[in-house]
This record gives sequence, structure tokens and C-alpha cells, in this order.
Amino acid sequence: MAVDDADLEGDRAHVVVDGVSKHYSSAQEPVRALEDVSFAVDPGEFVCIVGPSGCGKTTLFRIIAGLESATDGTASLDGEPVDGPGPELGVVFQEYLLFPWRTVAGNVGFGLEKQDLTATARDERVRRLLSLVGLEGFGDSYPKELSGGMKQRVAIARALAVDPELLLMDEPFGAVDAQTREMLQDELLEVWHETGKTILFVTHDVEEAITLADRIVVMDSEPGRVREVVDVDLERPRSRSDDGFGRYYERVLEHIRA
Amino acid sequence: MATDVGDGHTRTEDGFGAAIGEFRPKRALLGVAGIVAFVAAWWLVSLFQPAYVLPSPPVVVETFYAEAASGEMAAALGQSVRHWLPGTVVGTTLGIAAGVALAWSPLLDGVAAPTVRVLRPVPPLALVGFAVAWFGINHAGAAFIIAVGAFWINFYAAYGGVEGVSSDLLDVARSLGVQGDLELVRSVVLPAALPDVTTGVRTGIGRCWMLVVAAEIFGVPGIGRRILRASNNLQVDVVITYILVLSLLFLLVDVAFRAVQRRVLAWR
Repeated sequence: MAVDDADLEGDRAHVVVDGVSKHYSSAQEPVRALEDVSFAVDPGEFVCIVGPSGCGKTTLFRIIAGLESATDGTASLDGEPVDGPGPELGVVFQEYLLFPWRTVAGNVGFGLEKQDLTATARDERVRRLLSLVGLEGFGDSYPKELSGGMKQRVAIARALAVDPELLLMDEPFGAVDAQTREMLQDELLEVWHETGKTILFVTHDVEEAITLADRIVVMDSEPGRVREVVDVDLERPRSRSDDGFGRYYERVLEHIRA
Repeated sequence: MATDVGDGHTRTEDGFGAAIGEFRPKRALLGVAGIVAFVAAWWLVSLFQPAYVLPSPPVVVETFYAEAASGEMAAALGQSVRHWLPGTVVGTTLGIAAGVALAWSPLLDGVAAPTVRVLRPVPPLALVGFAVAWFGINHAGAAFIIAVGAFWINFYAAYGGVEGVSSDLLDVARSLGVQGDLELVRSVVLPAALPDVTTGVRTGIGRCWMLVVAAEIFGVPGIGRRILRASNNLQVDVVITYILVLSLLFLLVDVAFRAVQRRVLAWR
């Protein structure tokens, strides 16, 4: 897992979400999916967004990723408003969404093909990314041959390949079993450590958020808005049995319930 | 069209897929038994019928050899291929292109949808007049009829395939730097729709062999013409001979195409 490749360390962004609202008109009454959501993420920071289902966290994710537009307000990356998806915004979804007709290496190299790189340089980068996520030797496999955890590792490597300034993840470990989830969490922290990326991670799992995040944005539903931002001052690696873990858990849960 | 039957094998609707995909002795034996039973039944019935109603299997075999030996068969085959091949290729290509374009672009779809609905139910045979008027009684005219048949099958297969491409997959591609419709279609839409597209091509190839007979109805030489002429002369043995030729041709091309399809879709 550990790779000391300095060049995997790349750009990282300062993210500002400023007064973002999203309203849908429906047959009965307008839905306020997001209402005046504001927060900032420092370069290299790991921020989790938690909240009950229906709090609009996936909508927020899609707006920051440029996949959906806000009714009001802006999400910006280093001062530039996001106006569409692009290689500066790496996305990882719960459903992996690999290209099934491409091999593992073909998936990781997908974004690199749109860039001005020699085939050799591309292969080399793909090789390094595969080793970063612990998938050496799987380059020629097809997605159908992989387990869920392996698929998500490929998706992460694919998103990192184009050196995004921000890595956005929407419940990325929601579809794997508990054991695999813990392993992937550890590995993600390792990847974060290696690459220094800014990471914005959406989850409904409070434990997961406390395990991973520097800061937790706790959201409220109907309308979706920020209830509280919690700084997690715990040494890494963190474990559920740590002294402070339980206190943070109670605190975050209280905000969600309140 | 292909359905997963749960045991890991994919069975196509005509039942050939599994039989050709991997050799399964028990299934093959059943198939052989079926053929033997069919031929036996045919033979039995033919004993009580005059030859111009139903010739017996040995008579047909004799005719088959005679036609093959005289060079008639090769000649008819050569003629038919000269419109079957271009008709199939052109119809398939245009059908896929149109299907992808309309499924991808709401604008094109909006403009073309009513026209498509009007043209779709027209049987290729009804276009014989146009074939003669526009191309004449020649291979081009027959190829036109065949192309129309191939077009619609491939149009709808490609249309459905493109419609079924996950929008999330397109989002991923955009977020990895893919820009513009052409690039998205090339790098995501086409490969994602390929299973449906190849199923369409395969169905189309079969349909085009059937259309060969219809396409030759107005006088273009070939297998179909030979069948029609023999029918008029009550030479039922010749008719059956060329029906067999068509079946064998279809089987041959279908097996070859399935081999290609399996290779191309190895990722599934």
C-alpha cells in the first residue's frame, strides 16, 4: 500500500460552499432540498458530511461536483465557481460505476487518455495508482471479476488518476460488508496521507465520519441545511474504543436527533 | 434478447446460443434426435403424397447434389450474396447510426419521431416499386429492400441500447474530463450500448437472409429467384433444396457472428 511516489501528491483545493439552496417544484408543494448551506473546506482537509436520509447531502454532493446546478448560491473551488463536472473534481459513487467493458487498468487510465501524455507515462501512472490502492497484478482483470471492495478501490484510483483538486465521495463504502468497509477506510486515510488531497466525503454513518474526518458537517433534513460543524480532535488512527470517540459519537448523534 | 437462465449460461431466444457457445453432449444428442424425428415424419408423410406435393428426403438429397454439381447452386448463391452483403452492411450501418443519433439527441428525436412512426410499419416488400423505380431490376434494387429490413432492426436495437446507458456513467466520464457529445458517445455510449447493438446486428443478419427471397421477387437473380421459379414449375424438391441452402447459410453466418460477438463482449 505504501508508495513513496512524490508525484502522486498533487493539487489540492480550497472549497467554499456559499449560501447554496436547491428547490424542486413538485405537484404538491415545492421541495426545499437544500436551504442556505454554507461551509468551507481547507486545502488538504478531510471533511465528512453526515445527516439522515433526505437531508439533501447527495444533492449537495452533486452540486459541488458540478453535476447539478443550485437554485441559489455557489460552490467554488479556489475562488472559481463550479459550473460543470471536470477533471479538477474527482467523484466516487456508492455504486462504483466502473466502465464494465474496460479492464481495471483501462478504467484507471480512462481520464488520462484525454490528457496529453505518452502511452508509457500513462501506463506508469496507472501502475503506481494500482499499487497505491493495493491492486497490483489486477490491471488486466475486468470489473465483473472483482469484489465490491476491489471495485471501489479501482474507482478511487480512477478518480485520482487525473489529479483532481478535490476528491468527492458519496457513501463510497455503503455497499460493502462491514469488514471490507473498515479496511477501505484505513486505505482511504492512507491514500489521503500519500496524496494530500482535499476530500469531501458524504455518509450517513456517524462512526465512519468520526473515524475519517478532520471536521464533520452535520446536516438537518426538511429543509436540508447545516445544523452544526464539529471539529474532530482525535489522534489517528482512531478506534471506536478510544476515549474521545464515544463522546464525539454522542455529540454528533445529538445534533442529528435534535 | 439474451436471457440469463441462472446457471451461468446465456441462452438466446432461438436456443442456438447455448448449443454453440459450449458443446454439451446431452443437449446435442437431443438436437440430433429431434432432427431425426423430423426427417422421419417428413419421409413418412411423403410416402402418401405425389412428388409435386412433398418429395421424400432422398429425392431432395439427390436434387441438392444435382444442383450443387451443375454449378446452379453456386451461381445462385453468388448472385444473392451480391445484394445480401451490401444491403445488410448499408442497412446495418445506417440503422445503428440513426438509432444512436436519435436516442442521444432529444432535438433529433423530437424532429424525427413522427416520421419514424409513419415509416416503421411499411414492410420492405411494399417498397419493391421504389426499388425498381429508383435502382432498377438489379442488385442495387434488391440490396435496397434488404437494407430497409436491416435498418429498422438495428435502429431500434441501437436506440434501446443508447437509452439504457446509465446517466451516472456519463457523469463519471464528464468528471474525468470527457467533453462534447461526440467524445461522450465514442468513449462511453457506444461501448455501453454494444451488447444491444450486436444483438440487433445478429437479428438483422438473419432477417436479411429471409428478405433475400422477397428482394428477388421482381426478377433479380439469386436463391430467392430460383425458389420462386421452381415453385411456379411445381419443382418442390428444388424449392426445399434452396430453402436448405438458405438455412445453412444463415446458420453459418450466425455461428461466425456469435463467435465475433463473444470475443467483443468478453467483458460481460
